[in-house]
Amino acid sequence: MIFEDDETLQMYIEESLDHLSSIENDLLSIEAAGADIDEELVNNVFRAAHSIKGGAGFMGLSNIKKLSHKIENVLGLIRSREIVPQPETINILLKAFDSLKDMINNVEQSNESDISEHVVSLIGLTSASLPDDQKESVSGVFYIPVKNKKSVLEAPRFDIDQALKEGMTIYLIEYDLIHDIQRKMKTPLDVISSLLNSGKIIQSKIDIQAVGTLNEDIPSRIPFYILFASVIESDIVTALFDVDEKYVHIVTQEMFLTSPPETLPEPSFEAAPGKDTSAEKQPQVTFDTNIEKNSEKEIPEAHEFDPEPFSEPDMAESKQNKTIKSAAAQTHLRVNIDLLDSLMTLAGELVLSRNQLLQGIISDDTRNLEISSQRIDMVTSELQEAIMKTRMQSISNVFNKFQRVVRDLARELKKEVSLSIEGKSVELDKTIIEGISDPLTHLVRNAVDHGIEIPDERHKIGKASTGKISLKAFHEAGQVNIEISDDGRGFDGDKLLVSALRKKLITDHQASSMSEKEKMALIFLPGFSTAKQVTDVSGRGVGMDVVKTNLDKLGGIVDIESKKNQGTVIRIKLPLTLAIIPSQIISLGNERYAIPQVNLNELLRIPAIQVKDRIEKVGDAEVVRLRGNLLPLLNLSKVLEIDKTYVNPFDGSTMQERRINIADRRSKHSPVFENEETDKTEPEAPDMEPEVLKEPGPRSESERRTNIKSALNIAVVSAGLFKYGLVVNQLHDSEEIVIKPLGRHLKACKGYAGATIMGDGRVALILDVAGLAQMAKLTSLEGSDRVSDAAKKKTMAQKEAGDKTSVLLFRNDDEEQCAVPLGLVERIERIKVANIETVGGKKVIQYRGSSLPLFSLDEVANVKPLPESEQLEVIVFTLAGREVGLMVRPPVDAVDVAVKIDNITLKQPGIMGSAIIENYTTLLVDIFELVRTINPDWFDEHQTMQANMEKKHTVLFAEDSEFFRNQVRGFMEDDGYRVIEAEDGQIAWNLLEKNADVVDIIVTDLEMPNMDGFEFSAKVKGDNRFSHLKIIALTSLAGDEDMAKGTRMGIDDYQIKLDREKLIESIKSRLAD
Amino acid sequence: MEKNSLEKNDNNVMELATFFIGDALCGIDILNIQEINRHMEATWVPQAPDYVIGVINLRGRIVSIIDLGKKLGLSPIKKSKNSRNIIIQSQDEQLGFMVDLISDVLLAEIDKIEPAPANIGGLQGRYFKGVFKTKDSLIGVLDIDEALKNQ
Repeated sequence: MIFEDDETLQMYIEESLDHLSSIENDLLSIEAAGADIDEELVNNVFRAAHSIKGGAGFMGLSNIKKLSHKIENVLGLIRSREIVPQPETINILLKAFDSLKDMINNVEQSNESDISEHVVSLIGLTSASLPDDQKESVSGVFYIPVKNKKSVLEAPRFDIDQALKEGMTIYLIEYDLIHDIQRKMKTPLDVISSLLNSGKIIQSKIDIQAVGTLNEDIPSRIPFYILFASVIESDIVTALFDVDEKYVHIVTQEMFLTSPPETLPEPSFEAAPGKDTSAEKQPQVTFDTNIEKNSEKEIPEAHEFDPEPFSEPDMAESKQNKTIKSAAAQTHLRVNIDLLDSLMTLAGELVLSRNQLLQGIISDDTRNLEISSQRIDMVTSELQEAIMKTRMQSISNVFNKFQRVVRDLARELKKEVSLSIEGKSVELDKTIIEGISDPLTHLVRNAVDHGIEIPDERHKIGKASTGKISLKAFHEAGQVNIEISDDGRGFDGDKLLVSALRKKLITDHQASSMSEKEKMALIFLPGFSTAKQVTDVSGRGVGMDVVKTNLDKLGGIVDIESKKNQGTVIRIKLPLTLAIIPSQIISLGNERYAIPQVNLNELLRIPAIQVKDRIEKVGDAEVVRLRGNLLPLLNLSKVLEIDKTYVNPFDGSTMQERRINIADRRSKHSPVFENEETDKTEPEAPDMEPEVLKEPGPRSESERRTNIKSALNIAVVSAGLFKYGLVVNQLHDSEEIVIKPLGRHLKACKGYAGATIMGDGRVALILDVAGLAQMAKLTSLEGSDRVSDAAKKKTMAQKEAGDKTSVLLFRNDDEEQCAVPLGLVERIERIKVANIETVGGKKVIQYRGSSLPLFSLDEVANVKPLPESEQLEVIVFTLAGREVGLMVRPPVDAVDVAVKIDNITLKQPGIMGSAIIENYTTLLVDIFELVRTINPDWFDEHQTMQANMEKKHTVLFAEDSEFFRNQVRGFMEDDGYRVIEAEDGQIAWNLLEKNADVVDIIVTDLEMPNMDGFEFSAKVKGDNRFSHLKIIALTSLAGDEDMAKGTRMGIDDYQIKLDREKLIESIKSRLAD
Repeated sequence: MEKNSLEKNDNNVMELATFFIGDALCGIDILNIQEINRHMEATWVPQAPDYVIGVINLRGRIVSIIDLGKKLGLSPIKKSKNSRNIIIQSQDEQLGFMVDLISDVLLAEIDKIEPAPANIGGLQGRYFKGVFKTKDSLIGVLDIDEALKNQ
């Protein structure tokens, strides 16, 4: 039969699923609106149920038809405001729709599924709202005999009653499948949908009986009956139906029979399979007995008869012989016609460009070739984009179901939760959409189950009783970001830690050095579940690790951030598509590799000259200092073991590499340093150690250091939560690459995610950043181990070397290098000597309308006078509220150095001591002393001024280095504070006890002998007499760990050594607190 | 001869493509072969098993090239102007293996293929389905699936 072909059914399934997809949210909105009914919404759902019913009747899907019909009844009552949608009502509807969806997804078995439970509860809903005398109409059936009673049409009484009540006329239309439908190039679905525009289809049926048997005459018609209710008058309705007038009957009251007419032909009835009738039988039989008791006057007397439906089982039977593709296997994809058209256009364009290209090649026309290659370039990228678009699906497909998930779960757990969704229109590749559904569901369920507290608990801690969960999707940097946040109880990092320790997932040693973020990451370890009791919902012990693995497979990155009692934010980053990804191309040896951009955080280039300072080595682990953090380093060539042997390009022989480990390279200071020059001359041995491959030509260490090519290239990559630096030879462009799988012989290589083909046709391998880390046994936990070790070592080294500080280097004379702390410098000016005026025995220069006093070092200190020159640099300081300029000779350079100050050998007025900076003995200028010597009255003035203005605050200042002590005291005094100095924490403590009543604030260094800053601070804060004093730590090591430690000890603020303004600012604001 | 090849199915005959691995003359059913090329600039895959020479781009597909000499326990194939890649379809994937020299294609009656001896030119007998004798040579009929098995 034509209507049973796969395509029609497939279309029906797709359409129905489409309808169903929007229903859930509509129902939830209806629920939320309560009695305040939004008719539009109800109509939406109603229409959906209705069209599902219409098609089902036609397809012979009796169960689907029946269930959707009952749903429709309930919705009709909601629409007419006879039922107020209670949560319970909506629940029943949702469940009924669920079952409807199941049946549609599994259409061939739908007639066998048990829907009686839903039917009963739906009938319960409808009958509850009706007056008693109408109750039976809900489940009743009318029988309408057609065509000389040869066949009978069975229609729900409720519908007919409703239709009549609304003033509709009921028509029985008899279409002929042959003449009216097939010959007119229509499908039965077309007819149904056109009818639905102007009325309501109550019932439809194809009459197999009417066709007769082979013994009879060959029938000319296959009747297709539709019972149609509409407000349209009978005289114009035939035009609508597009059938001959004689086939349209108005159904009058008399034609409704409460039981089938006796003339019904029986044989097929016997043959009907009994399976699906039992469910239907139940309500009908009870109804029939009801009818006996209170028969209504307009219904004619009818005989008791078992109203077994017969035609539908027939159809179901014929269907059972066919195999219908299950709709669950997604084999079809809906594509926007416009998109398809544009694809076609592009394909055409491509063909034209190819012709042009061929033409160009044949005629050897370079210009033509150029043009066509450009065109092909353009067309392919457009084509690529368009084809990608066909695979793109809106994330709402996944998001939409969460309203329901959250609602059901919240009800079950007796929590109040509201879900807000943002960014539904974000699109992702189909495969990704399919892949994220499960992990996201898990995360959302987790948020409801573990995140949000029960209302009582929320009340206690002062939160609104309704918990909030928000789902957000947005594009960022070519990736899709999904954020799931809740305002629930959050994770407690330490609890996670304890739990992980108990489960022996980590060792004590690892635990001791974990950062907050790493603690959070513990939740992703396999076998980790935080729920105290295992609930049905989540916490089956296979939680987050599965989520992570699934997301990893999609190339996604998941990141978790949580604050106790404030909530949790889980961020997921996903690529737009899996097939084509932007990647950074790098090279190592003469092969290129691609690092997916998703994994790449940044590129780092460490100039050769800095390698020594920034790369450190701890045990066998290298780390790089990046913005104050230590980043573990992996050398790609070592991980891939590329450097074991190398082929001499000149004679083709293979040589064994002699280096045993990476640290043997070059010098101890630059363990991962590689030389690009070597790469050039020995392409097969990219990172051969110079010692091994030493060329005959002279190449000194310093030459290599300064060679611009000797810089170290590091790709900072992240694998999950954890970052590391990948040392590579050369960085190239970023390119879009197509991922291709590697063959089975290479499956064992963990370091690759696949391969791709480069522009020149050669193959490049795609690196799997997580795999590489695994190969190098560099895991997050271990990495933090190494880093914390490294940090410790670093601190030690710093202690030995003395404090690091920024100084401004300048020359007084060609041979005398001097330095001042950079923090004191206001600015640097270049002046012409000719512009210097000498007024009143003092040198000044006009600067922005005022005179800037100038002096030179030789005025106070015993140094050589400034040599004569045309230009001078002036370093401007602000002292005692005025600006002064120190004339020096260029070049002026700022450097970061660890100064070890010798404050005896070269000390003299204006010079506090000396240090070796950049291999020169450098005089450290005491600018305060200098100015005080030249203009002693300035300071008196300033101080009296300050003193007049306010009471002088006293600062207790502990610092072991005299250099810093002088500087800091200088500018603190300069700003009007009285300073009590101490050389270490112990002395500071003693002084504090002595001056208990005058000290207003404490500024302390952290690294000091006898008693360090932490200990001192703890002691101060632990003493009732002093615990009110604010403590500002002055340090050159403001690492996160130190800060955390300091905060525990009660330190109120951190200032980096010698940022004058910030320190003064901090003192001021702390005093004001 | 041509007629023969057309009727080979009826006559239980197969066409053997023969080639040298070291000193051993081997053959495989020509129907297994997708193509033979001299695509020598393979991309080396670090960490791969040593018998994998590398991967090549075969018209958009990534194909692993295997040194059949090494794979079968002989000395590696020496790249020369005679060496070729034979591309075959094996277990749903295209694979290539490099051989030292391509020889003739000849017809072999399946009946006349005899069980393989323990060793052919240094190659273990288990890699062969049998041997086929011609007038002046002995051809080992390679069991290509066995030979290319992933260890």
